[in-house]
Amino acid sequence: MNMNRAYQITGVVFLLLAAFIAWESLELKFYTSNGPGPGFFPFWLSMALGLLAILMILKATLREPEPMPEGFFTSRAGYLRAGAIVMALIVTTALLDIVGFPLTMLGTILFLLFALGRPGLIVTLLVSAAGSFGCFYLFDRWLKVPLPTGFFGF
Amino acid sequence: MESLQLLLDGFGIACQPMNLLLAFAGCLMGTLIGVLPGIGPAAGTAMLIPVTMGMNPTGAIIMLAAIFYGAMYGGTITSVLINTPGEAASAITCLDGYQMARQGRAGSALAIAAIGSFIGGTIATMGLVLVALPLTRFALRFGPPEFFSLMLVGLSLVTGLAGRSLIRALLSAVVGLLIAQVGIDLVMGAPRFTFGRMELLDGFGIVPVVMGVFGIGEILINAESLSQGVLNTKMRSLLPTRKDMKDSALPIARGTGVGFLLGLIPGVGAIIPTFVSYAMEKRMSKTPERFGTGMIEGVAGPETANNAYANASLIPLFTLGIPGSPTTAILMGALMMNGIIPGPSLFKDSGQLVWAVIASLYIGNVILLVLNLPLIPMWVALLKVPFSIMTVLIFVFCVIGAYSLSNSVFDIGVMLGFGLLGYAFRKLDIPLAPMILTMILGPLMERGLRQSLEMSNGDVSILFTRPLSGTLLVIALLIIATSTFRAFSTVKGETEV
Repeated sequence: MNMNRAYQITGVVFLLLAAFIAWESLELKFYTSNGPGPGFFPFWLSMALGLLAILMILKATLREPEPMPEGFFTSRAGYLRAGAIVMALIVTTALLDIVGFPLTMLGTILFLLFALGRPGLIVTLLVSAAGSFGCFYLFDRWLKVPLPTGFFGF
Repeated sequence: MESLQLLLDGFGIACQPMNLLLAFAGCLMGTLIGVLPGIGPAAGTAMLIPVTMGMNPTGAIIMLAAIFYGAMYGGTITSVLINTPGEAASAITCLDGYQMARQGRAGSALAIAAIGSFIGGTIATMGLVLVALPLTRFALRFGPPEFFSLMLVGLSLVTGLAGRSLIRALLSAVVGLLIAQVGIDLVMGAPRFTFGRMELLDGFGIVPVVMGVFGIGEILINAESLSQGVLNTKMRSLLPTRKDMKDSALPIARGTGVGFLLGLIPGVGAIIPTFVSYAMEKRMSKTPERFGTGMIEGVAGPETANNAYANASLIPLFTLGIPGSPTTAILMGALMMNGIIPGPSLFKDSGQLVWAVIASLYIGNVILLVLNLPLIPMWVALLKVPFSIMTVLIFVFCVIGAYSLSNSVFDIGVMLGFGLLGYAFRKLDIPLAPMILTMILGPLMERGLRQSLEMSNGDVSILFTRPLSGTLLVIALLIIATSTFRAFSTVKGETEV
């Protein structure tokens, strides 16, 4: 695998996206008596995207092979850490309105601290408390930025 | 004289205790954002927009502007102390600043950077005062055709943000334009690409997109490599010597000029003024071979250019409605969220607010100088925070930032989606700045074009026959042609296609 292959794959993905957007935009009004309709701009943008995607594929195919830069692929541990952040965001999205901000953040922060670095117990407890209940009181109660409270009223 | 009177009125508002406090808080938070590697000014400013939601518009914009130029200084601290720029524009400062720190002269480097930033920022703000009204009067002659052409000039400057590949930059720009298509059509009110989701009727919010692309994307990349700065620097003294001050005087003057002039040009970005300034100082030095070994000129010039640029880049934003960088694009988004539309009518419709913000720029520059010199030891201590804790804090702020916009977890999902996109773009070396710029400018351009064609009953020649619009179109085409020609150039190190 080299960067040429990576750009060929990326080009194909963009080409498929361009085709999809062109298809969807043809469902909208293209032109009206007053000028361009809602489908006008998305259609031509999808054409531009498709053209650039083809140029990307052609360039990647025709030029000298370019090796992957250092760090393009990372270690298993690296992917697990990045995956932990993604998982934390998914869980937060799913639970925030149901369980409320403080408890959701408490669980998420504990999970992330465990996955990313495992600082000592005291630091873990302080950071978890500050990031969950601390931030809730700071934003919701003091700065009046409403945050979800969930079942338990906090 | 009129500008001076309006500025004095602006000081009257900016000096109100609450607004002073907000400027102070903005400078503090902006410096913190600049110090923390892994979160840049764009994402940091976007994250802090929700904090300003409950405030009056004047206070909110004063605070956000303070965060913006505060972050420009904050990036210097990590460049000098741990050879890691807190934000991209401070990268060049690593060359000589870090060497100065290794020689025990970190205090001098940081102090000169603070003084230079103050001078550059203040003079650029004076320039803003002088240029703003005349430029606005000129811009009031703009109708929809001129506005469309102006936005096209702004978009053509995307090629200046190309980085190493023009094709990838253009792809990023087109993706940004397509993202902006989601939502209700501006003219006919028809939903586009909403797939039946009510949350998408207003399109993707700029804040979750930017937080995802710059904030989440960045922490995903950092989590892979678990990069952490380690600090082992002693500071002999906080104050620069008389020789340091003497050697820095001309670089500061030149840096001010470079930063101000480049700040007037949208699309230049914050990195170019610092690199141009460094190259200029090296060229004008009697000992250019010593650059990179701890030359104070290598810190004074670029850091001054950095802050002069930050203040001057507000000129095209306020007067023409063109954001010059992702961070000013965020500021533009914040202004629009507060019902204030940057551009030719800004000084007419919201003059009081704008002059208060300009006055607060002067105040903010003083605050930054007074704040940052004594707080250097605190910033130094902050850099020892472990990666896991810093990531958690960024995560929490991003969640709060995304959720609080419309009290909806949908925006957190949007942030996650764009975080993954930002991560993928970084891996593939596809620049992110064009995407953000076009996402902001695209809808304005579309509206300008469609209104123009309505005015002319579908006759596209209206764009060319109106002198101002025609001139701007020619400028846009020249910029595109020049950039494309440079992209095909065979000179080593130039942008490749």
